[in-house]
Order: sequence, then structure tokens, then C-alpha cells
Amino acid sequence: MYQLLLTKRYLSSKIMPLLAALAVALCTAMVIVVWSVMGGFLVMLINSGRTLAGDVSISWPITGFAYYDDLIKRLESDPTIAAATPMIDTYGLIGLPDGRTETVQVQGIDGPSFSRVTGFGDILYWRPIDRPTEKDIGKQDLRLTRHDLWGDLLKGGLNLARIERSKANPQGTERPAVVLGISVSGFNFREPWGFFPGLPMIRGESGEKKPVDIFMLPVDGSVTLNVLPMDSKGRAIEMVARTFPVANEFYSGLYEIDRKRVFVQLKALQDMLKMNRAVKIENTGGVKVSANPDEESFTSAKVVGESPARVTNVLVRGKQDVFDTRDADALATRVAQIYREFAAAHEGQVPDSTTIRIQTWADQNATMIGAVKKETALVLFIFCFVSLTAVFLVLAIFWAMVSEKTRDIGVLRAIGASRSGIAGLWVFYGLAIGLAGSLVGFVLAYSVVTNINAIHEWMGQYLKLYIWDPRVYYFSRIPSQLDPGHVVIVLLGGVLASCLGALWPAARAARMNPVEALRFE
Amino acid sequence: MTAVAPPKASPLATSASDGPILHAQNLRKTYKLGRIKVPVLRGVDLQIRTGQSIAVLGASGSGKSTLLHLLGGLDHADKPSADAPPPSILFKGTDLLKASTRTLDTFRRRRVGFVFQFYHLLPELSVLQNVTVAAMAATGAFEYWANRSAIRTRAMKLLERVGLGHRIMHRPAELSGGERQRVAIARALINEPDLLLADEPTGNLDRNTGASILDLFSDLHRSGQTMVVVTHDESTASRCDRIVRLVDGRVQNS
Ligand SMILES: Nc1ncnc2c1ncn2[C@@H]1O[C@H](COP(=O)(O)OP(=O)(O)O)[C@@H](O)[C@H]1O
Ligand SMILES: [Mg+2]
Repeated sequence: MYQLLLTKRYLSSKIMPLLAALAVALCTAMVIVVWSVMGGFLVMLINSGRTLAGDVSISWPITGFAYYDDLIKRLESDPTIAAATPMIDTYGLIGLPDGRTETVQVQGIDGPSFSRVTGFGDILYWRPIDRPTEKDIGKQDLRLTRHDLWGDLLKGGLNLARIERSKANPQGTERPAVVLGISVSGFNFREPWGFFPGLPMIRGESGEKKPVDIFMLPVDGSVTLNVLPMDSKGRAIEMVARTFPVANEFYSGLYEIDRKRVFVQLKALQDMLKMNRAVKIENTGGVKVSANPDEESFTSAKVVGESPARVTNVLVRGKQDVFDTRDADALATRVAQIYREFAAAHEGQVPDSTTIRIQTWADQNATMIGAVKKETALVLFIFCFVSLTAVFLVLAIFWAMVSEKTRDIGVLRAIGASRSGIAGLWVFYGLAIGLAGSLVGFVLAYSVVTNINAIHEWMGQYLKLYIWDPRVYYFSRIPSQLDPGHVVIVLLGGVLASCLGALWPAARAARMNPVEALRFE
Repeated sequence: MTAVAPPKASPLATSASDGPILHAQNLRKTYKLGRIKVPVLRGVDLQIRTGQSIAVLGASGSGKSTLLHLLGGLDHADKPSADAPPPSILFKGTDLLKASTRTLDTFRRRRVGFVFQFYHLLPELSVLQNVTVAAMAATGAFEYWANRSAIRTRAMKLLERVGLGHRIMHRPAELSGGERQRVAIARALINEPDLLLADEPTGNLDRNTGASILDLFSDLHRSGQTMVVVTHDESTASRCDRIVRLVDGRVQNS
């Protein structure tokens, strides 16, 4: 009981223990913030990785595989599978209106089904919106007005087509088009409030910005896409270039993807890569797939059949959410089974079921997720280690306080306090400081974590300090997620740490000889 | 010089028999300064009867405080040795020298009250809390919580008795030396001890203040409190039933 009373008094009358509590608060807050940001980073990474990848991917890179329509039909008739979509995944060069050329990841997709599998439709940026985004106080977002224009762009984006209207044809005709990542062109600038207005300038030869009339890529811009077709043996044929109008742009939030990915209509890409339907001709060396059915062959070839269209990937989405990797693995097993049946039905015409690559989203991002997980563990370990300073601070402060209070300890012993009672006083005191510190630390961490982007922007604006540069990190917003379980662990750790720091001084206080303590000047 | 004192009206008090409440025999205490042994007490015998007030007189450094600490179970006497008669401190039949630390803690809580020369109040606590803290130390948290209003009332009564009823919320730093000593006396009495041990209670006070403190002790004695008062001042000693002198580590009754 006297422990409680004295702890209360010591807490309210001494400055040193408050410093100890502050140290505990800062350490717990630090660890919580780090854990929340790293954890949020991981979850966001996983989710963003999933956004454009589907749950499970069946892939045969470069040359691709045929009869994918049949495979998709088989997949979609399975009760555990919600949707499947064909895709071609390749690399290419993009020529931009200002003369720049960039290397990009080119994916040929079928818009509607790809959207069902990956949620592609939800991340198309140019779309009519009714309410301004969170930070758009000045309502400067172009998408708030001219809804007809954005509506056309959204529809075009979903189908990877530019709708071109004229007086003679008010319904409009669709031309195959591309959808670029929002940062591919470099014409969209990210404003502090987080949106990308149409570009009123264009970069000059030497990199300076030149004002031009409002020019918006998805409205009247086009880009040139260069890809490299390969023959069935994986040998490069000549580079193919084609100019596409830009239908829309997408914003996944994952900078690497927003910067490097270009979607194009599947049919158009199949044409360019010679993965469309082709005629099989006979050769002295055996059967050869000619890239172009109209092409003259050197040997007088005989047409022996037709080669069906191919894709490099089929992406699958399960009915059930597969954020848990075990669920994803179960889905992959089911997909592999379906592929086996499919391969048996097309014996010799499609890659063997043992060599085809079937991967879950987790497998595909394994390196990155694993790295982030390890990094999280390492950073946490380091910060916890740093937080041990709090233990030593409590220890040092308590040591000094025990010395200062030597005579009081003697008095307490004289009025009957036991050794364990005295030890209890100091441990209890440490507990109180740990509790107070942890609580303050939690409040601190909570306010930092929930306002981390505002704080970051403030620092950028007033201190010119951008810690989280979207060009360096994958995400344009700092992700964070306060996990209640983690918070409890850290807070308990904080309490435990200060009790630990109090332990040694407490033992010293308990061991004191009361008579000497009383004589202590 | 045996005083006949009325029995104390307290549940913790001993029976009305005037047999010794505490009987110390052959107490030895030797301090070690490095290799040198400094014998301070060389075989002290002392009997304290219920209701008695005893003055321990002695020069500074003669070992008075040491003796008092031994009697209060706060310090350990020398271990028994072959070349000296066996030491003991019998408190109602229990030998404190052979008692466990637990028993000694309980003994200090329930049976004795200490008053020191330098008051030794806890500076962070109010006057009232300085008194009740001794009751807290003596009881478990739940017991204290259950009896807190009774304890508070007792503390208030004691503070009124020592003349500080109006200053219960003050801090020790705001009191004069005499007032602080009164608080210390109230603290020593809160657990209704069988034995009050005072170590030069007026040693740090001026003559007049000291006299009023001694009046308080006389008053307590009249109401039956058994006490040992350590002093080096003859006039202080003369107010007690009995005076023992500590010379060369031994007691000389006078
Ligand atoms: N812890 C100790 N170590 C060594 N000597 C001590 C210690 N405590 C007391 N003494 C010595 O014991 C003697 C008696 O001390 P004390 O009992 O305080 O005397 P008094 O109270 O009569 O003035 C003194 O000479 C003192 O220096
Ligand atoms: Mg002394």
C-alpha cells in the first residue's frame, strides 16, 4: 500500500522519473511507428502486387501456349475459380510524343476479363468523379467536370480502345489503343494533393519545361510501341513498331508498375508478336511455324495445317480471397489439376503439365515479399535493441534515486517494511513509469501513424525534407497499418523494459542495511 | 526505581503484569573497520518492564543508538561465541536474536515505534500521510483499504494529541523542528506499539521546544506507554522512571 502512495508522490514530485517515462514513450512510439509502416508497406506491397497479377498465373514465357480459350473455359467452369483471362507478357520500347523512348513492360490483355481477374478497371485514372479526393481542397481535379469526356475515356480504357467520334459518326468507332501507367509518359505531374492534372507543358530538348496548349495524352496523344517477335525456337525476328492512340492511364500506387507498364489490346499485340493464328508449313527440316501466313518460304513449302493463337499467360482469380498464402497454394493446386486435364486433351500441342509454370501471387512476389519481411524483422530488431537504452536510462535514474532515498528506505524498514516490500516499491515504481511511458508512447505513435502522410508533406513543404520519395519507393503514399496485436506486444515490452531497468536498483534498495541507511547523511 | 504504571488500553498491549516485556542479556556489538575490530557493546544486560520509562544515558559514541537498534530488531548483535555468555533479547518469551527476518519485520511493525533525532519524515508525504504510512507498512494493502477510515481517524486523533491537528496537509519541509518531531511521535504510535524507542528525540531541538517534546513523552508515559529514551542530557534522563548509563560498552544501573 505504501508502495502505491510513494509511487504516486514520487511520480508527481520528481523530474528525473518523468524523463525516464519520456524515454520509454519515445522508444515504444518509435518501435510502433516503424512496425506499422513496415507492416503497412508489406500489406500494400502484397495488395498492389495482387492488383495486376491475379491470384494464380499459368505461364509459358516468350513463345506462349495455344488453345488458351479452352483452358479458360475449363478453369471458369470450376466452382472455386471466379474468372480467368489470357495475357501476353513481354518487353518493348515506347516512343513518346516528346521524342523520348523508354523501355517498358508490355502486356497484351483482354480488357473486360482482365478487369474481372485483376481489378484493372478500378485503377483506371481518367474517369468521372463526383467528389474531390481527400487532399484536393481547391477542387482542382480535372475529373470533377466534363464527365462525358472522362466517361468515354473510362469505357475506352476498359476495352483498350480509343472511341473516335465525328459529326458523321456520332456513335464513334473504336481503334485499338494502349493504357499507360500514370508515370510512363512523364506528362502527368503529381501534385501535393495527389492527383495528376493534364499537362500544360512539355519537356524541351534540353529538359526544360516549355508551356504548350493543354495537351492530354489520353485525349489526343498517341505513342509508338516497339516489340520483338520471336519464333517458336525463341529466336528474335525483326522488331515491329506500331502507333497506338492512348485510351487511358492507370494508377496502381506501385511506382515501379506505374512507371514501367503499358497495356495493349491482346489481339493487336498478338499480331505484332506473330502469336496470332498462323498457317503451318512443311519444311525439309521438319515442321516450321511461319510467322506470317502470307510470307513466301524459301523452300516450296506445303501447308500442313494451322497454328492457333498463343498467349504467354493465363491469370486466374479464385472465388475466395487468397490473401493467406495457404489459400493461394490450394488454389494453385486446383489450377494445376485443371491444367493436367487440359494438357492431356491437347497432347503434344501445349506445354507439358510438368514443365508449365503455375505460380501464386505470393510465389511471383516471393523475393520482394521475403526481402521486405526480412527487412522488417531486421529493422525491428535494431530498433528494439536501440530501445534497450530505455532500460539503461531507467536503471541509471533509479540507481540515483535509490541513493537519494537511502534514508527514507531506512525509515521504511524501521517502521516495519520488509526487504521484499522495499524491492516491490521500486519495481512498482518502474511499472508505473513503464505504464505511463507506454501509454504516452502509444498516443504519440497513433498520432504519427495516422497522420504520417500529412507530417511528411508538411516536412517537404516547410523543411524541404522528402524522406519518402515516390521515385525511390514503390508507393506514392507512405503506407501504415496499426496492428492491435503488435501494439500490445510493444506496449508490454515497454512496461517490461522499465520494470527490468528498475530491478537492479530495487535489489540494491532491498539489500541495504537499515541501520546504515538511517545513519546515511 | 520500579514504576507502577496503569495498564495500557490497547489490544496490542501486554498483560497488566509488570514482568519484563523485554529482557536483553549479554548483548555484544562489534564494528569492523577494515581489519580492526571496534567493540561498542561488550555485554549489555537490560530489563524493561511494562509501563516503564527508561533513560539510556551515555557519552556521544558510547553505543546508545546501537543498543536501541538492537532492541528494536533493526540490527544484528554479534553472533554467540565460546568465550562469552550467550546473548539474547527476549520479547515476551521470543528471542529476537534467533528470530527470522519475517518475524523481525512483524515485530517492528506491530510492537515497536521508533523516534529519531533527525525526525526522518518522508519529505514527499503530507503530515497525515507520514503517520498513516506506518499503518500501511504494518498491514496488507487490502486490510489497509478496508480499515482506511479507522486508520485515518486514529492518525487524526494522534496528530491532535501531539498538537498538530490543524496542519495535517502540510509537508514536513513546512514545519519547524519541534513540529516535525511531533509528527514522528505520532507515526511511532499509530500501530499502538508495546515499546516506544526514542533516540535523542530532543537532540536537535532548542531547550524550550525540547522541553515541550519531553512533556509529551511524560504524558505518554502517564497513559501507560512503555518507552526507552536515549539521551546524553542528564535533565532529560531525570524525567524517566529509571536511568541506565552506558559506559565502556556495559550498563551501569544507577
Ligand atoms: N557502521 C559502523 N561501522 C563502524 N563503526 C560504527 C558504525 N556505526 C557506529 N559505529 C561506531 O560505533 C560507536 C557507537 O555509535 P552509536 O551507537 O551511534 O553511538 P551513540 O548513539 O551513543 O552516539 C561510535 O564510535 C561509532 O563511530
Ligand atoms: Mg546516537
